[in-house]
Amino acid sequence: MADSKDPTTSKSRGRKVRDAAKGVMYGMAAHGHVTAALRTRMYLEHLFMFITLGDMLGVPVIPPYYSLRILPYAVPNIKSWKQRVFRERDFTDQVF
Amino acid sequence: MGLSTYFEKKGDAGIVIFAGKGGLGKTTCSAGLSHYMASKRNRKVLCFSTDPQASLSDIFDRDIFGKGLISVIPQLDVVEIDADRRVADYQEEVKQKIRSMYGLTDIPAEIEEYIDSTSAEPAMYESATYDAMADLVSTSGHDLYVFDMPPFGHGVRMIAMAGILSKWVGKITEAREKAQEYEAVAATLKGAKISEDEVLRELQEIQTKITRFTDLMVDQRRTSFFMVLIPERMAILDTERALEMFDALGLQMAGLIVNQVYPKELADAKGGEAVEFLRNRARMQQKYLDEIRSKFAGKVVAMLPMYPREPRGMDMIEKVSQDLLFGPAL
Repeated sequence: MADSKDPTTSKSRGRKVRDAAKGVMYGMAAHGHVTAALRTRMYLEHLFMFITLGDMLGVPVIPPYYSLRILPYAVPNIKSWKQRVFRERDFTDQVF
Repeated sequence: MGLSTYFEKKGDAGIVIFAGKGGLGKTTCSAGLSHYMASKRNRKVLCFSTDPQASLSDIFDRDIFGKGLISVIPQLDVVEIDADRRVADYQEEVKQKIRSMYGLTDIPAEIEEYIDSTSAEPAMYESATYDAMADLVSTSGHDLYVFDMPPFGHGVRMIAMAGILSKWVGKITEAREKAQEYEAVAATLKGAKISEDEVLRELQEIQTKITRFTDLMVDQRRTSFFMVLIPERMAILDTERALEMFDALGLQMAGLIVNQVYPKELADAKGGEAVEFLRNRARMQQKYLDEIRSKFAGKVVAMLPMYPREPRGMDMIEKVSQDLLFGPAL
């Protein structure tokens, strides 16, 4: 009981409540928008990968001299990009 | 007469480019003009060969291929780019950047294979050369740059390629900026920090470099394009095509230089078999010189004779420079 009167503890509890409320608000109002924005960003990222490093998939795009300068920044995304491009697709992809 | 009249009218050009088919004398003209500008006009000149057939080394009689800037006489530096090595160094630079960015000792095999495979692309050579030219012009600090262009596509194809590259970079920059906008929206809604896009910065650097150099190349006040030809059918046809290409790219050709011209008197020479051979050559040339006169009226700015020995070494370069600058016009 003595703990509940400790100002430090009540401050941290207050912060937790505030964060939880913020989380709820974020989930209700913004999460959908954030997900949509990030998904669009992912599509644009894949498009960017395709027009810079299309050669890696056998699609000649442009002389690779300048795209090689971009390559180091794209390294972490190459695997997921290739998986996404080569993934089998069916009509459910259009639905979900 | 000769190029001196052109340069008197033009003032001090910053870049002079010699283009044309292979083996017609672009290197000879580049060396001659560079020598004159450095030794007689006291300008700090850089003569740059983009030709993979290493001809500046031959004409200056020194091994300069792939050795960087070499001073041949006071005020005159020459460079003969080893584009293969430049591509290899560039690939290694990219690999090293990947290693240091991600703390790797080995690069993933598929990425390494991709980097290595790019050297098989023929356009890599052109891009590396164009990049080297842009670097030199922006950093070497010379007053005049004389470019001896490679024969393929009259060298002007490089400018067309730069235009395409510039558009390509513009498009991906646009896509990148859009992606960055979405990331900023997501970050703001989440209350997170917006991270700077390194790729965008890199793209903007590439764009600036290409645009700055291409603008300089097409700026007629600072850059002069000359075509070199000989009085023969194929060279005339090629020059006609080059002029069309120049028009399509919005470039203006400064003038034509007719090279390897036999003395007119040989057309009437009398004598044995050897003289007959030379007489036939000279007559053929006279016919094509007439064609050049009618097809390219007012465009021929200099005419170089067929020398009794190959133009090689400083004494011959000096002679060429005199004929090029002060010799008779057509």
